Amino acid sequence: MIGAEWAWAIPALSVAAFFLIVVFGRWLPGGGGFLSIAAIFLGFALFWLVLADVLRSGAASFSVTWLAAGDTRLTWGVTVDRISTTMLGLVTFVALLVQVYSIGYMRGDPRLGWYFAVHGLFAGAMLALVLADNLLFLYAAWELVGLGSYLLIGFWFERRAAAEAAKKAFITTRIGDVGLLAGIILLFRETGTFDISTIIHVAQQGDVGGGVLTAASLLIFLGAMGKSAQFPFHVWLPDAMEGPTPVSALIHAATMVAAGVYLVARMMPLFELVPIALLVVAVVGLVSFTLAGGLALTATDVKRALAYSTVSHLGLMMLSLGSLGTAAALFHLVAHGLSKALLFLGAGSVMHGTNGETDIRKMGGLRKRMPITAAAFVVGAASLAGVAPLAGFFSKDEALLAVLDHRSPVFIAIALAGVALSALYMARVTLVVFFGGLKPENDHAHESPPVMTVPLIALAFFAVTLGVIAFGWTDSYRGFADYLTGEGPFHVEPWLTAVSLLLALGGLLLGWLYYGSGRLSSRAAAERLPWLHRALVNGLYLDTVYQWVVDRVVLALSRFTALFDRIVVNDTGVDGPAVTVMLSALRMRYVQTGKMYNYAAAMALGVAGLALVWWVVS
Amino acid sequence: MQTFDSYVLFALIVLPLAGAGVLMAIPGSRPVPVRWTATAFAAVCLALSAYVFLSYYLVHLDDGGMQLTRTWNWLSLPGAGPLADQGITLALGVDGIAAPMVLLTGIVMFCGVLMSWTVQDRGKDFFILYFLLLSGVFGVFASLDMFFFFFFYELAVLPMYLLIGVWGSSSTFSAFSRTKEYGAMKLTLYLVGGSVLVWIAILAIFVEGGLGTFSLTALEQVEFSPTFQRVFFPFLAVGFGVLAGLWPFHTWSPDGHVAAPTAVSMVHAGVLMKLGAFGILRIGMALLPEGAETWMPVLIGLGTVNVLYGAMSAMGQRDLKYVIGYSSVSHMGYVLMGLATLHSLGVTGAVLQMFSHGVMTALFFAAVGVIYDRTHTRDITVLRGLAGRMGFTTSVFAVAGLASLGLPGLSGFVAELLVFLGLFQTYPILGVLGIVGAAITAVYVLRLLAGAFFGPSDERWAGLRGASRLEGLSMMILVGFIFLVGLFPFPFIRVIDTGTAELLARFLSLS
Repeated sequence: MIGAEWAWAIPALSVAAFFLIVVFGRWLPGGGGFLSIAAIFLGFALFWLVLADVLRSGAASFSVTWLAAGDTRLTWGVTVDRISTTMLGLVTFVALLVQVYSIGYMRGDPRLGWYFAVHGLFAGAMLALVLADNLLFLYAAWELVGLGSYLLIGFWFERRAAAEAAKKAFITTRIGDVGLLAGIILLFRETGTFDISTIIHVAQQGDVGGGVLTAASLLIFLGAMGKSAQFPFHVWLPDAMEGPTPVSALIHAATMVAAGVYLVARMMPLFELVPIALLVVAVVGLVSFTLAGGLALTATDVKRALAYSTVSHLGLMMLSLGSLGTAAALFHLVAHGLSKALLFLGAGSVMHGTNGETDIRKMGGLRKRMPITAAAFVVGAASLAGVAPLAGFFSKDEALLAVLDHRSPVFIAIALAGVALSALYMARVTLVVFFGGLKPENDHAHESPPVMTVPLIALAFFAVTLGVIAFGWTDSYRGFADYLTGEGPFHVEPWLTAVSLLLALGGLLLGWLYYGSGRLSSRAAAERLPWLHRALVNGLYLDTVYQWVVDRVVLALSRFTALFDRIVVNDTGVDGPAVTVMLSALRMRYVQTGKMYNYAAAMALGVAGLALVWWVVS
Repeated sequence: MQTFDSYVLFALIVLPLAGAGVLMAIPGSRPVPVRWTATAFAAVCLALSAYVFLSYYLVHLDDGGMQLTRTWNWLSLPGAGPLADQGITLALGVDGIAAPMVLLTGIVMFCGVLMSWTVQDRGKDFFILYFLLLSGVFGVFASLDMFFFFFFYELAVLPMYLLIGVWGSSSTFSAFSRTKEYGAMKLTLYLVGGSVLVWIAILAIFVEGGLGTFSLTALEQVEFSPTFQRVFFPFLAVGFGVLAGLWPFHTWSPDGHVAAPTAVSMVHAGVLMKLGAFGILRIGMALLPEGAETWMPVLIGLGTVNVLYGAMSAMGQRDLKYVIGYSSVSHMGYVLMGLATLHSLGVTGAVLQMFSHGVMTALFFAAVGVIYDRTHTRDITVLRGLAGRMGFTTSVFAVAGLASLGLPGLSGFVAELLVFLGLFQTYPILGVLGIVGAAITAVYVLRLLAGAFFGPSDERWAGLRGASRLEGLSMMILVGFIFLVGLFPFPFIRVIDTGTAELLARFLSLS
């Protein structure tokens, strides 16, 4: 019977597909894309076997030695427990749907083989990341996820914007990764191992100094902030929308951006030992949750609006983690991942039907042309807006509950404002794109083929029904949170649920008043607070500031270093002595007059001088 | 087998010389036999160097120490000391540190020959000098005698002057120009200047050792006085450090690259710079451990400067070869930092980085050579959208770039990780700076990729040919080793670790 010990095969299959397509793709039909889909399908099938095994016999880990240097052993290994299998299921499921969807969306692209190959690489890396039992393996997978995202965002590299966006995503996350790697090596220095459970065990014994532990957990969180696009590292995510839309559904909804949340959840026992780190996680999450919600409100590009919404919901997950709500964060990760993948695929379907249009101001009434897409999109938006009883409602509620239980009232108050904002921007996007009157230029819009709508329907099904796993159904299953981390049965705080639901509905109503019925004018609202509107439209000027820093500080410094090296170090320090020697030689040659009496005089002077010295010394 | 083993290193030194001799006999007017002869000799050298490494890994790993040894007495120095009979010997052998270096030399030599089929002008003379140079490189890595070490060291440096001066290219930039004569002259004077310091230290060690021999194995038994070690270690560190690109004595290197033809750049950055680091290890650290211990904080500091300063300078360049040249300065910084940790992880990482960087930078220069050959420019503000025309070369360049920014799965990550692990054991702050250096590398590599390779295809390059079969083969070999070391570093690490452990044992016995 194939069980948990075969979990390593799930990422390996996808990576194998990558290499097979790269090497043999040119001789295979369709560039060999089917290999990648087959690999992820097998991975999804294997996931069920692994899950069954985990439910039967509990968590397990399997590792092999990768290299041994001196007395240091590094291992490659996988941990199969409830958290990692949950992620396994989410990633394989979304990746499978996205790849199937891509058959329709990417039809006719000249580099289809490469597209699916990179999907294989990305999925393999992401799956390895969630399975990794040690931090080094995790870091390696983490970086390869970054590479996969670089290649996917920059898939249409002939487009300048795509090439720039890919670069920006890689470099921004890489800055966070400096912290991650430093944190990992710091923990290695203290504990002598990369193994996650051993590190946590050693830290819980109190064998790691408090300062080091604080530094390490903050450094690790820096990596998580980069990957999960948390404020102020979020700037790469909206730009990353230059990639093909299915790519956004994969990496900017359920996988890569979720990696940061997953990492913090994995290392939670470590963070629990450092209250200040938890506070930082909570504050960064809270800031991202609300600010990105505001940014989503003014985005006029449907994908960018969704991207800001992703930043916002990832912020909610971080806030939940920072409030000790690990299970709630992971629950929201799953619910959001499915709902957001649905929204991105819906947006892709809209683009497919309207010749790649992404500007929501040019859309409207599309439900008349693309009913399935519209219905699915509405479901996803309602789920993320927090409408009961969809999946997002339950997960968001559990996250808020954690905040209520473990953080001061300020946090819950601001978070509730974020909830209303979330509903408002979701209403805006949905209403503007799918409702109202159909614009004449969109008259030709058409519904997408079944290969694209079936994944939408599948995701919509889960966005509707996933909420049920929140509840305890049997004695052994006492709710998703308890299943994941054993933190006790599902519970609700009725007033909080009521308030958050009311706020969500209020947000939706407000959205309808502004963008549905037209009773209120969004333009008037913008004109009432022009500075705020401008700041939001310009992404709080963060891009401007970063660009300034890059141009005026980093590049200026690099140009200065280059000039310094050429002019000071080389032309002065190196050529200077050489030129001095040459010039002195040119002068010195006049001493060689070739006249005997000059030499004789010099000789006589020399003898006299030496005699003088001898006389003085003795 | 026994006989073969005792001659294989000798053969590696003599074969390039023999190749040069055979080439002299072929009329230069017939380029095809010249190229085939050169390729054949380089292929045999590659096979022998692979044999050296594999036999160390498969057969001699448990024994450790110097293997494949053979000694020929050359000159006795009567009256110089008790071992004057073996005053100067041609003593050859490799340990765990030298074996991968020999393999690296074989790889780069062969790939460089493949890239040089396009040399039109006086190809025969080019290959003769190229082979002389590589004979010297093999000699340095295999020598166990300071005299011959130095002899081969000079042999490896001097042909460079002609190779750059004759076959190089002068460049004019907006603000300044660099002639090939300038590049060749600076390189030679710099390296000869470094050699003077090395030669002083070698003679001092010979005299102070009092054995009357230049043999490294004999001198390793001598305990030099701490004062002597502290005074003379800097001579070796700086003298050899010049060749390793030690800041601020590095400027010969980028200018040399810009002037040099493709294969010479590959050898220059791929193996020649490694000779410097190898000299610090083999003579400096092995003979003068206490001196090394005293000066290591300085060396590690300069190594950090190398990493950051080199990376920042690379970012500020406009010429592709300058970018790669400064990135070499930056990456050699990791070697110096790793050596200076005096920690088994750090030193092993440094040696692996020597190998990794050698392969990676040779690949960089091969790809740049192809691009320059086709587009006649290396200006990254002029090059645009090459990916559409030169897909293969772009992929290869991207692999080298990703290896240099430390992507897991490629060689640079393993080497740099080991260096970082060693650094965090000794100087954690510098370790963080090292990681920051890798992030800066990511910035300039990705800027380069986005600027020169991606973006809309340019009609100027419409008729561009991609890499030829031979160039492709050369680059694929290098790519293969980047993946090999990145995915299966065990053989390399185990071999290097054997050598490192023996070297560091000398330091442990100090304290």
